[in-house]
Amino acid sequence: MIEIVASVESISQAKKLLEVGVDCLYFGEDTFGLRLPFSFDRESQKEITELAHSYGKKVVVALNAIFHNEGISKVPEYLLFLRSIKVDCITVGDPGVVQIMKQEGYYIPYKYDTQVIVTSSRQINFWAKRGAVSAVIAREVPKKTLEKIMREVTVPVEVLVYGATCIHQSKRPLLQNYFNYIKKVESVGRDKNFFLSEPNKPDTHYSVYEDDNGTHIFANNDVLLANYLSELNEMKVSIWKLEGIFSPGDNFVEIAKLFVLARNEIENNTWNDEKALILENEVKKLHPKIRGLDTGFYLFDPNIVK
Amino acid sequence: MRKILKKPEVLAPAGTLEKLKTAVIYGADACFIGGEAYGLRSRAGNFGYDEIREGVEFAHNRGAKVYVAANMVTHEGDEEGAGEFFRTIRDIGIDAVIVSDVALMDICVSEAPGLPIHLSTQASAANYENLKFWKEEGLERVVLAREVSMKEILEMKAKVDVEIETFIHGAMCISYSGRCVLSNHMANRDANRGGCCQSCRWKYGLYNLDEDGNKNHITIGDKDKEQEPFSMSSVDMAMIYNIPDLVEAGIDSLKIEGRMKSIHYVSTVCNVYRAAVDAYCDDPDNYVVKQEWIDELWKAAQRELATGFYYQIPTENEQLFGIRRKIPDYSFVGQVLSYDPETKIATIQQRNNFKKGDTIEFYGPGMRHFEQVLVEFWDKDDNEIDVAANAMMICKARVNQEVKPMDMIRKLK
Repeated sequence: MIEIVASVESISQAKKLLEVGVDCLYFGEDTFGLRLPFSFDRESQKEITELAHSYGKKVVVALNAIFHNEGISKVPEYLLFLRSIKVDCITVGDPGVVQIMKQEGYYIPYKYDTQVIVTSSRQINFWAKRGAVSAVIAREVPKKTLEKIMREVTVPVEVLVYGATCIHQSKRPLLQNYFNYIKKVESVGRDKNFFLSEPNKPDTHYSVYEDDNGTHIFANNDVLLANYLSELNEMKVSIWKLEGIFSPGDNFVEIAKLFVLARNEIENNTWNDEKALILENEVKKLHPKIRGLDTGFYLFDPNIVK
Repeated sequence: MRKILKKPEVLAPAGTLEKLKTAVIYGADACFIGGEAYGLRSRAGNFGYDEIREGVEFAHNRGAKVYVAANMVTHEGDEEGAGEFFRTIRDIGIDAVIVSDVALMDICVSEAPGLPIHLSTQASAANYENLKFWKEEGLERVVLAREVSMKEILEMKAKVDVEIETFIHGAMCISYSGRCVLSNHMANRDANRGGCCQSCRWKYGLYNLDEDGNKNHITIGDKDKEQEPFSMSSVDMAMIYNIPDLVEAGIDSLKIEGRMKSIHYVSTVCNVYRAAVDAYCDDPDNYVVKQEWIDELWKAAQRELATGFYYQIPTENEQLFGIRRKIPDYSFVGQVLSYDPETKIATIQQRNNFKKGDTIEFYGPGMRHFEQVLVEFWDKDDNEIDVAANAMMICKARVNQEVKPMDMIRKLK
């Protein structure tokens, strides 16, 4: 059984995602979670959780920030809140959160999720022994490495099949510092659609924005693994992640719907290359015009990156 | 008179065996080296087992410790052989291994029991619960994320009983260490496996796109004549003005960055921090920062210096925009091999070109240093020469003050 996890930007979008058959909704608030499409208040978090449960579906809440003392001091209360609204799972990247959950009454099943440093089965199994129920694979892991990882892991693994990839998180306000230097008043949030281009590669476009967790930079293109879903399934990758931080609104719901159909066909053994190609083309049409898509590191020879 | 008994360790980088010896002689209590296959500085001159053995013997004979950085993030398969590696360095007598990857940590714990583990800064430990977690996992020490403030360190020390190591000098990652793969995506070089090509220091274009995909430039990047390009590059860290805070906070180890840096850098920076830590701990109530320490650090500096995240979030003033401050540029020209007090002649191994008439500066452990003009100059066979032009050549010079073997010579470029 393949589980489809999709990020959520609003309660109305949550409802639509459930309607089209997404299995698990991913959301949270910026105080505790990284790079979320929207920062929900507690009331809304409760509402979305109840909504998902009323559809017989699950929620996973983001608790994957890198915490400093002040941040970690707020985590126990948040864990109790999340338990009280009966969330199914959380994402965790900071071992401090795992430490707090050792205390009686605080544990919530968690996915180990650090964005860039889940790159081997030993790491995943380490966290599984310490309470993780699954792990999110780094985007920098190529297929050939993933195949080896999948043979050794003791818990399910989540792979990004559609969406944006963060490649840098700084605590420094890098955009604000730049604008201060050039004496330009400018807001620096995600809504501003700022991009960087590499020296001598003017056509590259790395999204960059700031929030409470610092400055975030994203890969040149977003990931789309439409053509590799059946081989992911053969490897026993059982969780597909759809990341909508830069893919808003109803188009994202439509994309989720296409992945649900694909999943159903894979499970019914009716999926084929032709259908995969159609999926790829349909997603490309629905993807924001100003953003590119490729297969990230998936097809890389593991020896290319030194 | 008040004295501080619990001195923090001065921990120095040692990219090569020679740098290790230099660091120890110049006052480091401990140094960190790269292991053959599992370190993060693939170009930093990693040590083989024989060199590790020699380095450990040299350091231990002088009361100093040696740590091995095995701080790469392994991809499936990279960890092969790690068990034997950890066992071997444990048996050689390495004092601790610095690890960020839990896969390597797991192997070290199960295959080399008894080898102390320090959590690398690459793991971005930034809160007290995180420290408690690693303490309960059996780690001896946590190297904090560079983003942690002095106030946060005080709270950690009050709440958790685990050794804390912090960076006090050198270059800084712009990202949370370990959370950056710019280099992987831009240059196919894995930052977490020793390949970092410092993409954060590049000069970028910055723009936004409207819905039709039209670009509006703020800057086009490195070729922009009108506007400063976007960059993330930061000044380096120097905590020389803040030794009292570091000591009083109870930080166990003060780390100097730079396994890639020169012997000149290692000797100079160790010398200064050794002197400052000793001066404060010996008589904290009458401590003053000496100008000569500051002057010395500038001689080995590559960039402007600031205090990182200890007292504030770095602003635009702590980033490298615009025209850079002129930093005195010294070259390391030689090392003293021996000295004859009768004749006042020093035998010197050349490391860079220098010549008769140059003003050269001798310096040695304990902050000894003096300048002189080079007047009398011979090759190893006592033939008069004007210039030491050949790499590593042995030469002799009459010096104005006593010098010792392992003293260094530098010259303003």
